[in-house]
Amino acid sequence: MSAPLDAAPDEGTHDGPVMTAHRAGLIGCRSCGRVWPEDQHRCSRCHARLVPPDRRGLQAVWAWWFAGLIMYIPANVFPMMRTETFAGLMGSAEATIMEGVIDLIKHGSYDIAAIVFVASVIVPVGKFIAIAWLAMVAGRPATVDQAHTRLKVYEVVEFIGRWSMIDVFVVAILSALVQLGFVASIHPGPAAVSFALSVAFTMLSAQSFDPRLIWRGLPLRRRVK
Amino acid sequence: MKPASPVRKTAVRAAQAGVNLIWLVPIIALIVTLGIAWNAYTGRGALIEVEFADATGINPGETVLRFREISVGRVEAVRFTSDLSRVVVEMRVDKDVAQYIDEEASFWIVRPQVSAQGVTRLDTVLTGAFVEGYWDAEVSQPQRHFVGLNRPPLIRSDAPGTWVRLSMETGDGLSEGAPILHRGVQVGRIENIRISDQDDRVLADAFIEAPHDGKLTTATAFWDTSGFSLSLGAQGLSFNVNSLASVLQGGIAFETLVSGGSPLQPGHEFTVQPDEASARNNIFPSDEGEPLRMSLLIGDSVRGLAKGADVQYQGLRVGQVTDLSVSIDDQADDPVLQQRVTIAISPERLGLPAGSTPEDALRFLEQAVADGVRARVASAGFLGTSLMIEMVNIPDADPAAIQTPPDALPVMPTVPGDVEDFRATAQGFIGRIGSLPIEEALQSATDMMNSITALAGSQETQALPGKISETIDEARVAISDVGAMTTELREAGTAANIGRMVDEAAAAAEAVRLAAADVPEMVEEIDAAAARVNEVDFAAISTQAEGILTDLRAMLGSEDAEQLPRNLSDTLQAASGLLNDLRDGNAAGSLNNALDSASTAADEIARSVQELPQLIQRLQATAARADAVLAAYGDRSAFNAETINMMRELRRASEAFGSLARMIERNPRAFILGR
Repeated sequence: MSAPLDAAPDEGTHDGPVMTAHRAGLIGCRSCGRVWPEDQHRCSRCHARLVPPDRRGLQAVWAWWFAGLIMYIPANVFPMMRTETFAGLMGSAEATIMEGVIDLIKHGSYDIAAIVFVASVIVPVGKFIAIAWLAMVAGRPATVDQAHTRLKVYEVVEFIGRWSMIDVFVVAILSALVQLGFVASIHPGPAAVSFALSVAFTMLSAQSFDPRLIWRGLPLRRRVK
Repeated sequence: MKPASPVRKTAVRAAQAGVNLIWLVPIIALIVTLGIAWNAYTGRGALIEVEFADATGINPGETVLRFREISVGRVEAVRFTSDLSRVVVEMRVDKDVAQYIDEEASFWIVRPQVSAQGVTRLDTVLTGAFVEGYWDAEVSQPQRHFVGLNRPPLIRSDAPGTWVRLSMETGDGLSEGAPILHRGVQVGRIENIRISDQDDRVLADAFIEAPHDGKLTTATAFWDTSGFSLSLGAQGLSFNVNSLASVLQGGIAFETLVSGGSPLQPGHEFTVQPDEASARNNIFPSDEGEPLRMSLLIGDSVRGLAKGADVQYQGLRVGQVTDLSVSIDDQADDPVLQQRVTIAISPERLGLPAGSTPEDALRFLEQAVADGVRARVASAGFLGTSLMIEMVNIPDADPAAIQTPPDALPVMPTVPGDVEDFRATAQGFIGRIGSLPIEEALQSATDMMNSITALAGSQETQALPGKISETIDEARVAISDVGAMTTELREAGTAANIGRMVDEAAAAAEAVRLAAADVPEMVEEIDAAAARVNEVDFAAISTQAEGILTDLRAMLGSEDAEQLPRNLSDTLQAASGLLNDLRDGNAAGSLNNALDSASTAADEIARSVQELPQLIQRLQATAARADAVLAAYGDRSAFNAETINMMRELRRASEAFGSLARMIERNPRAFILGR
């Protein structure tokens, strides 16, 4: 019971073998964080199911990840939103994400273009890479420093995941606001749904990732630096 | 670690169970995405290529393809042909209409157009140009490469109607889209005006809309109504403008003037006549029938005779001249040069039944020639500058017959034409014009001009302006006098209009004279009455009667009464003198005098008239007093009776005078003007 507590001061110093709950024969509840003996199947405090940290749990991560990646393709191929000016007389423009970014750059709105580009391309792609990397290396042997890096990456992915929806928000708000009938109207394109699904799937993917796996691969012994 | 093993196995199983389920998510996502992609791929339609001369207003990704104004596709790319001479527009056509796009399909670019028909497709100013396509609803072998039209077709190929071909000498004034008119109503359009390959005639395709195409038969005549026509003919000058549209873009009218034509085959070719009159003249119900060709040998000059000139039989057009040549009549002793005129005669125009052959016509003409019909050259038209061939009955012609040489055309006997007469007349006419003293007139005009110039240049003339201004001053004074006089006249209540007064013064004078003629009699009667009153030397007559007589005498002896007739007659004389003066035509000169006299006369008349009522009143008062006096005497005495008579006469006289006076008083102008 005291092992995790003992391990905590060790993290800061990295001067000894890291004691994890798994090594102590304990299992942590992912909901409330309480640790139980390994034979406990259900958390008695919050009644959540106790799942042991296992690389097999990464299957869910990969499944969501693939789903998110698949949805990300149409999100980029299909138009994000359709703009109709003068009931289509002045032309109706359909723009995919990248076309929108290029249009914005052409119009000189570099800041907005940067925001859109970061929110719609950099962040999702980075998330895909980060989750994939985490899922690949999780449970593999790692030094404490590496483990810390993975944890930080995980936290960043968790934190930034919600902000990926900014593109969808923009389209939703524009579609709701710019309904001027004959003069101009904006409708969401099929890419908006795809993008939203993609973001949702990657968030689920990130949530499915068991951060305890990060600590599974820690060396049993302290490495001599 | 050891106790964990059994637990791990169950955990693995649980995880595997979860794994199986969770992998459904990406699989479903993949299926959905692939489905969408497949849908998009299969539903994106066919790619067609259309060649255009240029791609004005075509934007890849924006320009749409429209069919019946519905967007059915979008331009995807624009590129050049391999020789860079044209552009190829690639368009993605919606799948459901792509199957109809076969080789019949046509494409053109719609842009705003300003033409004689008006401004069209202004909407494309806003939306930008678009490609319009047209194809029928029949699904056949699809085609994917097309050559676009240079301009929108004026008539959709599915519009009900009939296409005919028009052939004309020149396309003057005609433009694409010019209207086809039938009795002034537009029933079609012309397009595709071009020069024929075979001959140099101008061809055009004309489309006549249903149901008006039912009016077309092979006997329909077409004529050009372009612009306006100005013609000088025997009927005079005629100026025709059909419509503003036909002035701007030309037009062609048609009319089926004779019955008997057969229904049209599509693409039937019509000849367009230059105007309606020639169209009406040119109708040959059976132009398809073979005409009778003959030749004429004419010794006269055929100057003015041209190919296409009329051949008339008894004044009706039966054919036309088809050729002119020179031939030498070497059979005669003295070879003479003759003109050989070849004519073509329509048998049906000669009145022969339909289907008659040239041989029938020849037999008919042989008979006619035997009866004295001869051909000759005659002048045609108003001025007679053009000639025609005329077949007329010459009663005392020398016997002749149509010669039918075996290897040449039959020769119609001719007589000298009556053209020379006309020539002579025209010559005389021209001669008369020539002999007009135009030179002399011009010379006189020149002389006159010279004199005027000399006069104007002389010093006396240049001194004139001073005198003229003096004269003008005098004239101004005179005019002001006249004006003053006119004003006086107006104030005196006489004629407001001198002209009218002058016209009617004669009648007035007559009336005045008639009226005044009674005055002396009246005065005499009054005198007589007074004398009789005097004669009745009745001692018992009261002082009243004396007083009456005194009054009467005083009245009659007064200057007023004596002057009245004299005044009147003076007035009349003055008026008649004035009238005479005016009537003598010396009015302008004596206007001053005349106006003066008229003014005086009017004044005198007015004065006289003012005095008349007093006179009448006095007369009436006298009469009344006499009445009263006489009434005092017995009813039946002779004196009484005589006095009553006298009194009656007196009263009648005074009444006559009174009516005259009232008339004058009521309307003094009538005294002068006679009404």
